[in-house]
Amino acid sequence: MPKKNSSAYISLPKSKTSLIHNIKKYWPYYVMVLPGVIFFLMFKYVPMLGSIIAFEDYSVFKGILGSPWAGLKHFKALFNYPDFKRIFTNTLLLGLLKTVLIFPIPVILSLMLNEVKNLKLKKVIQTSIYIPYFLSWVIVGGLIFDIFGVGGLFNNIRNAFGMDTVLAMQKETWFRPIYVISSIWKDAGWGTVVYLAAISGVDPSLYESAAMDGASRFGRMRYITFPLLIPTILTLFLLNIGSFLELGFDQVFNLLTPMTYSVGDIFDTYVYRMGIQKAQYSLTTAVGLFQSVIGLFLVMTFNKLANKFSDDGGLW
Amino acid sequence: MRESIKDRLFQGSITFVLCILGAIALIPLISVVAMSFSSKAAADMNIVNLWPVGFTLASWNYILTDGGLWRAFFITLTSTIIGTILALTITSLMAYPLSKSNFLMGRGLVLFVIITMIFKAPVVPYFLTIRGMGLFNNPLVLVLPHILTAYNLIIMRTFFKQFPEEVEEAAKIDGCGYFQMLYKIILPSSKAVLTTVGLFYAVTLWNQFQHPLMFIQKADLFPLQLKIRQLISGGSEMANITMMSNANYTESTLSAATVVFAIIPIIAIYPWLQKYFAQGAMLGSVKG
Repeated sequence: MPKKNSSAYISLPKSKTSLIHNIKKYWPYYVMVLPGVIFFLMFKYVPMLGSIIAFEDYSVFKGILGSPWAGLKHFKALFNYPDFKRIFTNTLLLGLLKTVLIFPIPVILSLMLNEVKNLKLKKVIQTSIYIPYFLSWVIVGGLIFDIFGVGGLFNNIRNAFGMDTVLAMQKETWFRPIYVISSIWKDAGWGTVVYLAAISGVDPSLYESAAMDGASRFGRMRYITFPLLIPTILTLFLLNIGSFLELGFDQVFNLLTPMTYSVGDIFDTYVYRMGIQKAQYSLTTAVGLFQSVIGLFLVMTFNKLANKFSDDGGLW
Repeated sequence: MRESIKDRLFQGSITFVLCILGAIALIPLISVVAMSFSSKAAADMNIVNLWPVGFTLASWNYILTDGGLWRAFFITLTSTIIGTILALTITSLMAYPLSKSNFLMGRGLVLFVIITMIFKAPVVPYFLTIRGMGLFNNPLVLVLPHILTAYNLIIMRTFFKQFPEEVEEAAKIDGCGYFQMLYKIILPSSKAVLTTVGLFYAVTLWNQFQHPLMFIQKADLFPLQLKIRQLISGGSEMANITMMSNANYTESTLSAATVVFAIIPIIAIYPWLQKYFAQGAMLGSVKG
């Protein structure tokens, strides 16, 4: 068998000769990965290197290499900026809401779905709560504006109970509740998929013996299903904290109005307005870099924790 | 096994609550459909809730004869189809060698890919890079940035890894080359993962908003999502037209019809989306 020999050969210590040999022998592999490698270089790595403009006074005409060095100027300016404090607080608060209020909903929903005995009905419920996940945030934003606008369902219901019409989308106090509601409406249904898969893996004999011992339905949910879900919940929870700052540009941008900037403006939307629309390239790159570095730290830390708690927990 | 009354009550109330939640999930969609078929008078009086009032096709007539919306629709349709085909080609080409233990650069490349998942370049240098590549106001920007994602690559690699070694060995003995192996043996037996990953790409391409927002400024290159955003956030010609004419639509019925127009394609392929996305959600681990 010539195949065995070749695999034995490449398991030798790595050296230049073995790489050259490997390229010669398996050159089609190297050709195959080429388009992908070029893609990652151009669309991911070049922009990473481009972050260097956070340390320059970048001008489009001079280019990255020709622009004068500015050291930490933009970072120092950043932390003294009143805007920065506001967007940082907004980002943290929305991240907190995401973790505390939005994250538990799919767990509860999947525990409830597991109690629906009529399989057809279960399928219908699943189908209807999954739909919003596939719609874009432009569409969901449009729906939310319709519902919370004048003459929308929200105000019609308020009026029916004798309450005043409220322009919820333009009110600061309503932005965060609407952020939470829209997140839940769009994603919580779909979020049950992973938990339901975990539940379907539970050994049925556990339930049978518990029922034999007189455990109620609720008891079985509380003492069998829920504990068995904990590793999955914990893993997803840690990964969720790891992506704490990724609130989604599309969502916030499509729910935001100039009247709600004070509570809803986050890193992503601020960078878009100031950086891309108003061309303050260096300063907003400093903002972005700050966000990316914190993001990196969070992902690394919480991925490590997720790995600790369960074998197939972390992302890598 | 007999259920006690308490248990049946417990299950019954949970089922009841879920039915209500399921209905609530659909209410925004129903109300927007109702609005799109309602008359100007009804919309102005704010009396449309879940059923069309003063049924009329006026709004639909208006948006379906609007060339701009169809143009945006076809731009999105074309970029989604071309993008998905290109994405599946490039992703499978890269995932296949990465699934092979005798590909010496494999481990290094996996790391190279994972780094892009955990450290994201800030938006502004990304914008400057892409603009520097000549993709500003260029329809290619609707396709090229979306033809490969680390996540989909890893899913496909994981799937290819499970492919039995013996089949490939036998094909090799018959003189099958590496490219032939991929296209004649591996891919035809990977239809499930190709559909899953293909749908992931297609939905991303169809729903993309941030890229066109940053890179497309010419109105006649607007893809669907951007066009809808422009139409429903007002500030377009729509408001003026409804003010001037005595037609049977308003800004809100028109924007409702536009939203429904954009939802229809997603609903049309929804059964496949539901099935294959669920499979994909199970495959999403980078390990292995």
